[in-house]
Amino acid sequence: MTATAQIVVPAGSPPPAPPRAGRPRRAGLGERTIPYLLLAPAVVTMLVLLGWPMVQVIGISFRRLDLGELVRGEVVWIGLENYREVLADPEVWTVVARTVLFTAAVVAATVLAGLLLAVLMRHLSGGVRVALQVTLVLAWATPILATTTVFQWIFDQQYGILNKTLVKLGFDSFAGYSWFSSGTSTLTVIGMLIIWQAVPFVCFTIYAGLLGTPQELYEAASMDGASPWQAFANVSWPSIRPLVTLATFLSVIWDFKVFAQVWAIRQGGPDGGSTTLPLLLYLKGVAGRHFGVASAIAVLMILVLLVLTARYLQLLLRSREADLS
Amino acid sequence: MNKTRGQRIALNTIGVVVAVLFAFPTYWMITSAFKPSNALLSLDYDLVPLSVTLDNFVSALEQPGFTVHLTNSLIVTLGAVACSLVAGVLAAFPLARLRFRGRKGFLLLVLIAQMAPMEALFIPMFLLMQDAGLLNQLPSLLLVYFAITLPFTVWALRGFVQGIPYELEEAAMVDGCGRFGAFRKVVLPLLGPGLVATSVFAFITAWNEFLYALVFMRDSDKQTLPVWLSTFKTVFGTDWGGIMAASVLYALPALIFFLLVQRKLVSGATAGALKG
Repeated sequence: MTATAQIVVPAGSPPPAPPRAGRPRRAGLGERTIPYLLLAPAVVTMLVLLGWPMVQVIGISFRRLDLGELVRGEVVWIGLENYREVLADPEVWTVVARTVLFTAAVVAATVLAGLLLAVLMRHLSGGVRVALQVTLVLAWATPILATTTVFQWIFDQQYGILNKTLVKLGFDSFAGYSWFSSGTSTLTVIGMLIIWQAVPFVCFTIYAGLLGTPQELYEAASMDGASPWQAFANVSWPSIRPLVTLATFLSVIWDFKVFAQVWAIRQGGPDGGSTTLPLLLYLKGVAGRHFGVASAIAVLMILVLLVLTARYLQLLLRSREADLS
Repeated sequence: MNKTRGQRIALNTIGVVVAVLFAFPTYWMITSAFKPSNALLSLDYDLVPLSVTLDNFVSALEQPGFTVHLTNSLIVTLGAVACSLVAGVLAAFPLARLRFRGRKGFLLLVLIAQMAPMEALFIPMFLLMQDAGLLNQLPSLLLVYFAITLPFTVWALRGFVQGIPYELEEAAMVDGCGRFGAFRKVVLPLLGPGLVATSVFAFITAWNEFLYALVFMRDSDKQTLPVWLSTFKTVFGTDWGGIMAASVLYALPALIFFLLVQRKLVSGATAGALKG
């Protein structure tokens, strides 16, 4: 998951300030078209390179488009045939179930770890806190593929430091143990890799919410004799809950679409055991050249993401409302 | 919140352990890159490197591919960032400063575009680039990265322009500048930090991108660094030192840029999560 820059919306984007009218005179035609001319490059780019493919993918999902049709330039409409084929394919269902389970496990672990670390960070002394923050930023900033390569080195069968450490600790069965021999174990390693990259964002988001909680509330709670757990449940949790919900939704949206790490580690192997939905899409579409069928899978994926995104945007807007009132 | 001494020590110990865990992969990448190959391919237990060598970096740089892929990555990334910034500044000015019909509609378009599921759109993109005759050419990637980075560039720059007091422009206009002269002479220079931060975000996004590079580029000498790194086994065999050195070289620009704007990024990410 690309927790790095995908979501970054810098601070300082307050609700649009009322745009000021120019000097009190009638604007000429030239002046009135200027905003549109300035927006044109951005609008054209977004419509051609994001809007058009969105329309196209839906269109292609109703066509038969394999290599033959592509070469001959034929347009063959086949209605819902692709969807029927996809939904009748047991392999697709296996992959969907695997992807959902994988996403759920990774998101749960990421959010829980991020929450625990954020709470922990509040209670650390200055030096340790800075050290922890620096290491989190390092994990966040390292490019996805660089991290993926290092994880493969750490988990290497023969010379990997993990197996060496486990043997040293007395688990002799890990000498020469292959972490990539089954789909489940491969996905576990990939999951750890994604969690390692994703926790910093979640942790910093929640930590910022904790910092925003007024200190007086904690003092009042401790004066009333609240236990640390009661203080967390009654003071911290209400103020960070919207952030935890948002981080959860964002994580689901990201982790459901992860491609690079899964592909780079074993290309979905062994024997398709770590193939997730985005990989299936790639294998059917680009590798198998069944563009129609793959587009049907893509549309189904977009529908799932749409539901998640709509809920996320709704939560986002609601939290902003609360912020403004 | 009075903690006993024991509690404080326990919490800080956990903190240190977690910090070590999170630092370890990066530490391991860097130290492995400096270890001689006989130390890497041995069964000795060596958490701390005993001897240091630059051989791995030499072997990574000597790979016939490395400089080619580095150049490819730099071209598509920097090109996309430059296009995004130009289109972004052009769009940010009217969005922040002018009143016109369709302004709200455009802002909505940007918000939606920001959530576009790129991972599900590579098939129409592939066909689009094929029709345009751009498949297997660097401009195809440059265009896609431009499109991916544009929405948040527009959104962010609009915020930065709004943060600059309008009175400054008014003063310039009183002094005889036109509206666009005022923007060019007053706002653009003040926009510097915002431009840097925004371009770093765009750079990291494009530098990381993997799927489209894999789909579009069929010839190996057209591939970008991340795709090339993912095939390291065929390139390096078991030369883990060389792989780690190549990874370090690939990670370096992103790490430097990230640390540069780190504060803004952390507060920005949370502000984005809260305030849209």
